[in-house]
Amino acid sequence: MNNQLEKDLVISVKDVSKKFCRDLKRSLFYGIQDIASEIIGKPRQSEELRSQEFWALKDVSFQLKKGDALGLVGANGAGKSTLLRIISGLINPDTGVINVTGRVAPLIALGAGFNPILTGRENIYANMSILGLSKQEIDKNFDSVVDFAEIWDAIEAPVQTYSSGMSARLGFACAIHIEPEILLVDEVLSVGDIKFKMKCHRRLAKLQEKGTAFILVSHNSHSILNICNKAIYLKQGQLIMSGEAEAVVNKYEEDLAFSEGKDGRSKAIMRLREKPSHESSGLDITSIFFRDEQGNILETPLSGKPAYLCVECQANQHFEDINVGVKIRAILGEQDVVLYLTSNNDSCLLEITPGKTEIQLQMSQLGLSPGRYTARIYLRQGVRSFDIIESFRFIVETSEIMSRCLFYQPRNWQTIKLD
Amino acid sequence: MNNQQLTKVVYTPESKIKRPLLLFRLMWRDLLASKELAWQLMIRDIKAQYRQSFLGVLWAFLPPIFMAVGFTLAGESNVISVGKTTIPYPAYVMFSTALWQTFIESLNGPIQAVVSAKPMLARVNFPREAIILSKLGEVGFNFCIKLILIFGLFIWFKVPVSWTIILAPVALIHLVVLGTFIGVLLAPLGVLYQDVSKGVNMLSTFWLFLTPVVYPIPTEGIFSILVKFNPVTPLLVTIRELATTGILTQVTGFWIVSAIAFLGLLITWIVFRLAMPYVIERISA
Repeated sequence: MNNQLEKDLVISVKDVSKKFCRDLKRSLFYGIQDIASEIIGKPRQSEELRSQEFWALKDVSFQLKKGDALGLVGANGAGKSTLLRIISGLINPDTGVINVTGRVAPLIALGAGFNPILTGRENIYANMSILGLSKQEIDKNFDSVVDFAEIWDAIEAPVQTYSSGMSARLGFACAIHIEPEILLVDEVLSVGDIKFKMKCHRRLAKLQEKGTAFILVSHNSHSILNICNKAIYLKQGQLIMSGEAEAVVNKYEEDLAFSEGKDGRSKAIMRLREKPSHESSGLDITSIFFRDEQGNILETPLSGKPAYLCVECQANQHFEDINVGVKIRAILGEQDVVLYLTSNNDSCLLEITPGKTEIQLQMSQLGLSPGRYTARIYLRQGVRSFDIIESFRFIVETSEIMSRCLFYQPRNWQTIKLD
Repeated sequence: MNNQQLTKVVYTPESKIKRPLLLFRLMWRDLLASKELAWQLMIRDIKAQYRQSFLGVLWAFLPPIFMAVGFTLAGESNVISVGKTTIPYPAYVMFSTALWQTFIESLNGPIQAVVSAKPMLARVNFPREAIILSKLGEVGFNFCIKLILIFGLFIWFKVPVSWTIILAPVALIHLVVLGTFIGVLLAPLGVLYQDVSKGVNMLSTFWLFLTPVVYPIPTEGIFSILVKFNPVTPLLVTIRELATTGILTQVTGFWIVSAIAFLGLLITWIVFRLAMPYVIERISA
């Protein structure tokens, strides 16, 4: 049993750390130092930080079996890409051991070695040999690469004449046809149109059935949940949680909600600390929340019911022509903007007097379907920006059945007698 | 998919030089594995180079021709005085310049290869030897084109040829090895610091001046000592002598420099391998 487990293991990462340096000059100098100690075989004390270094990854461990799909979530700079680069052997770890069994295809490398002057055909050969295929293997796969990328007509044209979607498709097609044991996918599924995306997902699923193991990096919880059965959550280089994809993604999203706003529980009330005078622009958002039509604070607005989005602000002088913008995105799902409302577009420029003011976006029937949302809210005057709240998170619930509706449709049913 | 056939790799922070046997085995494996990739990359680069050029192969001919015209005219009007050369002076300059160019190309090749492959190096783990080999292939290709010029030259100036000319390519390989040795040594540094390519550019002009390319080997003065201790001198002179007179004057120097070049190349190859992960770590952090 244990032996079988060992045998199916394709990646085992144990206590891996990596440090980086933010200062370029110093970083280059450290590089030279490291090279020197590597060559003379002196231990380079990699487990200790030198001045201005920080841990980009710290004591990360996990294992990946054949056919596993592991999602890697975390904010920018959490160490996701660093981890992938260590696994693909591009850079040495500073502590720990990594065991990799089988061919690794890094989808971080879409279109590596593409030369814009050369034709699609020539680039397929160059790119796939970089990814480790022999001439015969490329010959064998060539047609299906072209088919997959859907560039039949353009195959003899220079790649510089391709649209960005076409070259992304070609890169993806090349990488996916090397049939690796391990596929590292870094945010690349966000290229191409929806049709191509679906095709990629299908292809990934097929590879997975064949036993290919994946590591998928994405900011999109939706695609992680779609593809991955396991996930790990990195935060500033630390492994926060690993396990079932759903639980990990939930934890990650919860943390996101927590990190923004001082007391951003799942309740939709965001209070901001008062800005010191040197940071203030004269007009600051102090809190954001919902009210119902009676003026009571709403913790979770309901679809179809009245919801007033309130932006409380503090002004130190008189302002005219203030434009308030609200851009709402769904958190799960394709992360697309579902609503973008500005008072300016509604020909409604606001006047704000010194002191506290509450700006209300009054929605008499909230059209959002149930789910988690994040709103980006700004105050502007022409092109001058006063304050921006990057993410105000809230949950919309419903009191009725809305499972197959994309949005709330205000409606009435009636029968009219015709004769 | 059979687990037995799968490659197993272990990455640790430990210096790889502590396990030299494994290191040599991996070097050998990668060298073999990079043959085909190097070929593909060479084809890619040569094609791209010529497709973007109007004059194409002429670029291989022009520098030696201009050099020869310039120095011949200068010599005729006694602006400079060059000694007696064993073959007609314009042919001497053109042939030597072609050799010198090949040397400089093989020196610059590894540095350029690594710098221009930066994005690829930062993303894909392929045998790094391939980009060096592909550049060497390009040097060879360019020399083959120059051969046309040299052939034409020898016929036009009726340069006497000795049977030893068949050995000249071997000596030429030694010259390329010397250049590659220096190039590979500088390549990892060249990725990190731009000073390297700038320095190489500047020094190569000075170096040309110290090499008997446009003049025969001087016999007196400090200058003659500098030229004598220039490692390129014995290699370049020997190739020229093998191709023309067949009387060799620099045999000892030739073998000493060759030994240093070959041994040096092996050592710098190891250094290159060990250094690359650290270089890559710094370029794309």
